[in-house]
Amino acid sequence: MFYRRLLPPLAALLAAGVGLAVGGDALSLSRIVQALANPHAHDVAHTILWQLRMPRVLCAALVGSALALAGVQLQGMLRNPLVDPYLIGTSAGAAVAIAFALAFGIALSVLPAIGFLGGLGASLLVAALARRGGGIDPTRLILAGVAISALLAASVALLSVLARSISFQLTLQAWLIGSLAGRGWSDLRFALPYAVVGALVAIGNIRSLDALRIGDVRARGIGLDIERAQWSILGSATLLTAAAVSLAGMVGFVGLIVPHLARRVVGSDARALLPASAFLGAAMAISADAIARSVIAPRELPLGIVLAFAGIPIFIVIYLRREHRR
Amino acid sequence: MIRARGVALERGGRRVLDGIDFELLPGEFVALLGPNGVGKTTLLRACAGFDIPATGTIDFDGTPIHRLAVAQRARHIAMLSSDELLADELRVRDVVAIGRFPHRPWWRFSASEADENAISAAVAATHIEAYLDRIFTHLSSGEQQRVWIAMALAQGAPSLLLDEPTTHLDVRVAHNVLGLLRERTQSGTSVLCVLHDINEAAAVADRIMLLGCGRMLALAPPAEVLASPLLDEAYGISMHRARTEDGRTIVVPAHT
Repeated sequence: MFYRRLLPPLAALLAAGVGLAVGGDALSLSRIVQALANPHAHDVAHTILWQLRMPRVLCAALVGSALALAGVQLQGMLRNPLVDPYLIGTSAGAAVAIAFALAFGIALSVLPAIGFLGGLGASLLVAALARRGGGIDPTRLILAGVAISALLAASVALLSVLARSISFQLTLQAWLIGSLAGRGWSDLRFALPYAVVGALVAIGNIRSLDALRIGDVRARGIGLDIERAQWSILGSATLLTAAAVSLAGMVGFVGLIVPHLARRVVGSDARALLPASAFLGAAMAISADAIARSVIAPRELPLGIVLAFAGIPIFIVIYLRREHRR
Repeated sequence: MIRARGVALERGGRRVLDGIDFELLPGEFVALLGPNGVGKTTLLRACAGFDIPATGTIDFDGTPIHRLAVAQRARHIAMLSSDELLADELRVRDVVAIGRFPHRPWWRFSASEADENAISAAVAATHIEAYLDRIFTHLSSGEQQRVWIAMALAQGAPSLLLDEPTTHLDVRVAHNVLGLLRERTQSGTSVLCVLHDINEAAAVADRIMLLGCGRMLALAPPAEVLASPLLDEAYGISMHRARTEDGRTIVVPAHT
């Protein structure tokens, strides 16, 4: 069992290697290694590697691991395997904010910050609606999340109908499908602190998530402060999701299916499950982004589409095989 | 020691119980009886500090229970509720280990020696060694109930509150589970346990607390409660009393 815990980090490392190796321009492995070894050199290979691929791989890693960590925590808290991080309204909030920003012609460079704020705002609204007593009511959270998300999605559609400009619609579409095209070091620097804080809070949540596995009332009986645990989990999930959405838009599926894959690999002990989810999420997003960058180079496929086409069949195969073995 | 003074309890804004006074003594087994909806679970939850009484106080060693920090409370009182299903694929040993939660600071992820000792003792006391590595949900109801009790024992609290631990269990398994709880009282653990089978309660408890008509009708040794017309009043049905060969009183609903 223990060696299985090594699989997710190995998968992430392997994916990172592939992510650095592939792209629009073919670079030999030796030139890549050379460029990696000399970060201060000034040749083409060096520029491609350090200014294009490295930040892309790191952005993908952040997006994948943040969404997976958010998903695994929400699924654990709500004990609902269908929960995904977008349930809490983050993505819809980000999308509306981005759509407004685009409609008012705000500079593309500040879109991540605007998406982040929109996502945060919508999640806070959903959390406020889901409040009951000192804590969060799981059913209300799901209902409020679905309702607010639907309303915000309709607002995005409305803006998209009203604004006739093609560039608006293309940029908005990229956000809605999820894409890392054009992301670099500055975007990463913006999103990283929020993701790090979200991940640190997630580490603090491990103990509560383990206790919650036996049910809310029983967890209370063994001394878990349910209300505090819920707010802490929701806070972490919101920060992580908003950071991911600000970078890549609405990348689907990772937050929903990676926790399930991770559970298959390392089991449901939160101490193993959270790191495994983060590593597998990173591995999946990095690989998908590498495919997105290379299959129709020099053009790019949106990350969200690759993830759906590559990730979901893998998910189904692993799930079905497992069911057969039982 | 849990002590309730002048306690009134509400559920959904409606007063369900009034004027509850009792003490749960160390090493004592008290069975909580009463008709459905009378407030047995509500009382148990208040004793566990989950809900605050509308009036009166429930203390643990002199401190109102709801004032205790959650983890501190859980070190004194273990509450086993019965109404939740467990969807996760947990192994039996993990379930028992979760009982150590209130003894573990947030920065420590692995079990200490004290944790290991408490877990081993709980496993031995409940005789679940044989299925420690099995998936919890694959166990029978009786086995699952033993595991929950093991978890509560691992928690190491001197007071044990249980909500219908014998529901869904056949007569032999229920007997075993109650025997197990009875054994724990020998080492000073007090047990307050909601039961539905009056005769089962009478066989195992030191005292029976009978709830009915919005108040505590009786808190007395089983023989007294079973003989009393209060039992008929509580359930709103007349009862026949009979004597077994070994001299115990049993009650059955009278045919009407």
